[in-house]
Amino acid sequence: MDAIIQGFTLLLHFENILLIFGGVIIGVIVGALPGLSSPMAIALLLPFTIGLDPVAAISMMAALYCAGTFGGSITAILINAPGAPPAVATAFDGYPMAKKGQPGRALGLATIASVIGGIFSLIIFIFATPLLASVALSFGPVEYFGLSLFALSMLASMSGKSSIRNLIAGCVGVLIATMGVHLATGVERFDFGIEELTEGIHFVPVLIGLFAMSELLTQSQTLNAVIQRMSAKSLKLPSWKELNQLKWCILRSSGLGTFIGVLPAEGSTVAAMMGYNEAKRWSAKPELFGTGCAEGIVAPESANNAAAGGAMVPTLALGIPGSGTTALILAALVMHGFKPGPYLITETPHLVYAIFGAMLIANFGFLGIGLVGAKVFSYVTFIPKKFLWPSVFVFSLIGSYSFSSSMFDVWVMLLSGIIGFFMMRNGFSPAPLVMGLILGPMVEETFTQGMVIHDSSFFQFFESGVFLIFMGLTVMSLSSPFWSNIRKAFKSKK
Amino acid sequence: MALKIKNNKSKFAPEFTGANLFHKKDLQISLVLIAVGSFFFYEATKFPAPGMILGDTINADVFPKILVVLLIFLSSIIPFEFKFAAAKIKKIDEDRSNKIQTITWITLAMLIIIVFCSSFLGTILTMVTTCLVFPIVWGEKRYLAVAIYSLLFPLAVYLLFNKVLSLYFQPGLLKIFQ
Repeated sequence: MDAIIQGFTLLLHFENILLIFGGVIIGVIVGALPGLSSPMAIALLLPFTIGLDPVAAISMMAALYCAGTFGGSITAILINAPGAPPAVATAFDGYPMAKKGQPGRALGLATIASVIGGIFSLIIFIFATPLLASVALSFGPVEYFGLSLFALSMLASMSGKSSIRNLIAGCVGVLIATMGVHLATGVERFDFGIEELTEGIHFVPVLIGLFAMSELLTQSQTLNAVIQRMSAKSLKLPSWKELNQLKWCILRSSGLGTFIGVLPAEGSTVAAMMGYNEAKRWSAKPELFGTGCAEGIVAPESANNAAAGGAMVPTLALGIPGSGTTALILAALVMHGFKPGPYLITETPHLVYAIFGAMLIANFGFLGIGLVGAKVFSYVTFIPKKFLWPSVFVFSLIGSYSFSSSMFDVWVMLLSGIIGFFMMRNGFSPAPLVMGLILGPMVEETFTQGMVIHDSSFFQFFESGVFLIFMGLTVMSLSSPFWSNIRKAFKSKK
Repeated sequence: MALKIKNNKSKFAPEFTGANLFHKKDLQISLVLIAVGSFFFYEATKFPAPGMILGDTINADVFPKILVVLLIFLSSIIPFEFKFAAAKIKKIDEDRSNKIQTITWITLAMLIIIVFCSSFLGTILTMVTTCLVFPIVWGEKRYLAVAIYSLLFPLAVYLLFNKVLSLYFQPGLLKIFQ
């Protein structure tokens, strides 16, 4: 209880509240702008938060994460161009409802569903995080190695175009993480005679490059795209009667979203799509889906916001990111000197509760923004790309340089961006690479420790029951996409 | 998709449909990844042995080697992925069938040139150049707006990051005025 009070007290400083609201506003803007995303915003903000109080910095990013998920729905509804991937499913019914002349109602439904989904998952977050952490405290290096392998294997089912490509990107991320001095032996690895590489490649410039620069190059191909926009004069909140009719749909989607969020590597996009599909399956009138029905808006919105809170559970309790964006929050924790994992809640419980508080404030923050500023925020889509993307490049340059005042990091950022652009064109998504990069050191460290404990015998790892369970889950998660693909291929042949 | 592949008689079919045995474009990607993986494996074989005190229990090369083998194994599957994930590969093929536009190559070149010149120009002039050059090269005709943007945006960034957050900005060419 003391830790909860301490965590909330930390947030109550004027500066921290200001930063959280700043995070909410940035989150809604980047969420609303097609092309910009919350992972990109967090990647760009990371180097600038070094000088900030760690609790304030992490809280701001957590708030940005929540608000970014919501922000995408504004443009999904008004211009049929989801600002962020998790809002794709919202456009299925949000835009048709707006076209019917009810954009305010669509925005109101999305806002309320987002807030309920977000708060639902935070309640789970506050209870599940300490529980999961207490279980994880009994884990040794072998069990942790099994867990991190399972988390990496989940990349196969992560939202993306191809399971194998996701796994390859994850492998490349872990391989990049092995560069530099091997701490256990002092051996310099893959430095190729370049002095800067002896310290390895830091994740910040890589993240900025992968998320910002590659998107800049992608956006340069659609500079003159014209978008049709619905105008929302005001936001119309749903009535109690309507909310009462939708309550089971919202609660079911919130539960589903939280569960999917908790699974390593699964994110808000998968949660929103599953929330939408489940709502359609359970609906009394499934034929109305796609024509602008209320259930088609509240289901994906409550699910994707619930997934945001759910994804924080494994991130903070186990040090295993629940999504691409939480991988960046994990990176921020590492950058600010915290060691994510079960010890985070035992040693710095106030930080975990401060993050919880920040996300709670963020949920109410975007409710306020939805009520008074949805119309204003929808105008951000008018910012011309020809002015927006040079600004992103400026922030990328300053961010990657300021991290360690080194031009080498700027080149790493640029190279990562170019590689990321070609990766995306060929079906490789940057999120698995980031997960690999962040999880890489943990995978190797636990593997090495396990090998030392078991006298270099990997087979002795299987003596641990927990490791066996994780290996079983790993095999299942790796094989499931392939089995379903093979089944589909056979069906199509028949 | 399966029918298209069956009817395709040439070994190297157009990228969009894939070939009988393997997908041409994915084969190229696979070869690049295998080459990179092999290079990293070779590099890993050159890692020095750890000191005697550590014995054989910890070797710096074991983990990277396992990783590279896994990478090569996964990369070797990509050319055949269209056989068991036809719909997904079709979607990827659709995306990459659009040629990279000239403006993207120009943008790429501009990014490299600006980063190359940034140490010489300094932070402020790099920002001004970026804000001035990018919109014009991208076809912006409102020159007054570009001029205002290229002055006001760098000024705002300078005030926020240099004056408020005390971030060091390299003076570069502006050093002559100091």
